[in-house]
Amino acid sequence: MSLIIKDLSARVKDGAQILNGINLEIPKGEVHAIMGPNGSGKSTLSKVLCGHPDYEVTGGSAELDGQDLLAMSVDERSRAGLFLAFQYPVEVPGVTNANFMRAALQARMPKGETVDAVDFYKTMRNKMAALGMDTKFTARAVNEGFSGGEKKRNDILQMMMLEPSYAILDETDSGLDVDALRIVSDGVNAMRAPFRSFLVITHYKRLLDYIKPDVVHVLYKGRIVRTAGYEMVEHIEKNGFDFLKSEE
Amino acid sequence: MDFPQNMSMEEAFALAEAEAKLKQVLKESTVRFENAVIPNRLNEDWRFGRPHKHAVALAELLQSDTPSQGEATVQHAGDAAVPVTSEDDDLRQTEMLMPTIGSDALLGMHLKRFGSGYALYIEEDTKEPILLTYKTDTLYTPSTFIMLAPGVKAHVIEQHYGNEKGTIFATRNIQVAEGAELKVELQPYGCARCMVITNIQNMGGKVVHYTHHFACDWAREETVAEIYTPGADNQLFSANNLICNQVLDQHTRQIHHVGGATSNLLYKNVVDDTATGIFAGNIYVAPCAHNTDAYQSNRNMLLSEKATIHSLPGLEILADKVRCSHGSASAPMDEEQLFYLLSRGIPRDEALALVSHGFLQDVVDKFERS
Ligand SMILES: Nc1ncnc2c1ncn2[C@@H]1O[C@H](COP(=O)(O)OP(=O)(O)OP(=O)(O)O)[C@@H](O)[C@H]1O
Ligand SMILES: [Mg+2]
Repeated sequence: MSLIIKDLSARVKDGAQILNGINLEIPKGEVHAIMGPNGSGKSTLSKVLCGHPDYEVTGGSAELDGQDLLAMSVDERSRAGLFLAFQYPVEVPGVTNANFMRAALQARMPKGETVDAVDFYKTMRNKMAALGMDTKFTARAVNEGFSGGEKKRNDILQMMMLEPSYAILDETDSGLDVDALRIVSDGVNAMRAPFRSFLVITHYKRLLDYIKPDVVHVLYKGRIVRTAGYEMVEHIEKNGFDFLKSEE
Repeated sequence: MDFPQNMSMEEAFALAEAEAKLKQVLKESTVRFENAVIPNRLNEDWRFGRPHKHAVALAELLQSDTPSQGEATVQHAGDAAVPVTSEDDDLRQTEMLMPTIGSDALLGMHLKRFGSGYALYIEEDTKEPILLTYKTDTLYTPSTFIMLAPGVKAHVIEQHYGNEKGTIFATRNIQVAEGAELKVELQPYGCARCMVITNIQNMGGKVVHYTHHFACDWAREETVAEIYTPGADNQLFSANNLICNQVLDQHTRQIHHVGGATSNLLYKNVVDDTATGIFAGNIYVAPCAHNTDAYQSNRNMLLSEKATIHSLPGLEILADKVRCSHGSASAPMDEEQLFYLLSRGIPRDEALALVSHGFLQDVVDKFERS
């Protein structure tokens, strides 16, 4: 069981080609990291996997536990177990965090069953407490007026509520203060399990010191150009991406 | 005319002059009604969404001998509520002096049926909202007067029920004294035709006004919110979901006669099917009204290619040192918001409903927080 991406290419609809044949296999239970310079296509890859309408797949395939991911609608992909914590979480005015999460959980219930409100609020409050979030955030509109760090935490809260089998974290560390970084990483580590994998996108070693990856990939100009172990993180932290110049 | 005994000559003179002026104004306003024409397409304020068709039909109905017939109820008002009668000349005069936004002729016709509705003289804080309802299945022309004494806090909800075939043409005069706070909601439901002319006179208090139309075929609102005293605060909100062939025609004026006061407007519509939303707003800041804060924002979400929006925000600022802005945006649903909900596994239909409902709920939240 794994997420298998083969020769995946994509472009902005009616625009530039961004992904140029991505190959990636993430088995269940593993944590993979993706690093790479700004603009190399990391966020695009994660959004293409979720089915963002801005992009058009121009070739290749993606399989989630043997199912054709690219044939599914955006919401089906989520219910099939894929989750993306966004680099820039979106504000949704007028929809409370609680209603949002309840609708997402309801969509996962068998026909004819409804989410139990008492259990739901209890679970949500516990997870918020674990993330150091004030419970008043349940009644606030999704991400509206949240600080940068609060938005990131809110996305992680959603991940903890939805318990996906494949979670992509796109620069979740950016905007988090030192304590929040530790709290969020603890939350992620607590979710590590043989039936779940993570794809962690980041620019910094400090996150990967908390969430130790099994494999590290380097994405450059829309392709995976290196796949290595943790030593790659240290190399990039010390020397930057100069070594990629040979890829020109 | 009888003068109070302890009145000085100057005061008596001033009072006499004021009375004479009022007589003149009333005479002029009679002329105003006589000269006013029934709105047509050439009338600036009746230009869009073919509302003049409805205006003509409304005028025909008002000119016919159809009587004003309806049921008015009031709850939780204590002794603050007094039924309006055709003998009440003070209230009639108040209505005669009401500003309209292009509907003098219609107001004149409303006055001919004057004598129904409620006047609320509110002198104590309300514990629960005063609930006013007007109901008809023919034609009904009630008048509402809300007068809030200094320092009093009140909440009033006015509901119009047109039972699908009924026409309700209502006027509303709202006067708020210094330090008073009024929350007031207008909720027309299921009227074939709904017309409401509102005048808010703020003398240094706070007015939070919210309108929400539901299932009315055609509705027109003219709202003139005036500020007469520094420190006054008018907050105008509206949120509507328009479907089928509905037309909602909203006109507003935020008038600052004096400076040092605030007015704020947020009107939002979700427009679907072949419905039409019209917003024409204006902020007027008088020459001496320095240090005014006035904002106006009209936002529309278009859910169908056949839906129509006309949005005409406007400013007329004659003073300096003011902070004013107006904005208008009409666009389809925000794709990023929709994607965010979908990406959490919420099915498309439900995600659409949540985002469009949220777009309007945002106004309700702001109204409730104000
Ligand atoms: N919707 C879009 N429209 C136009 N250009 C886009 C769009 N999405 C991505 N791009 C372009 O594709 C390239 C890759 O962007 P992407 O956001 O995937 O980079 P990234 O690797 O996540 O960068 P960063 O580290 O800065 O987050 C950039 O040049 C970007 O401008
Ligand atoms: Mg990115």
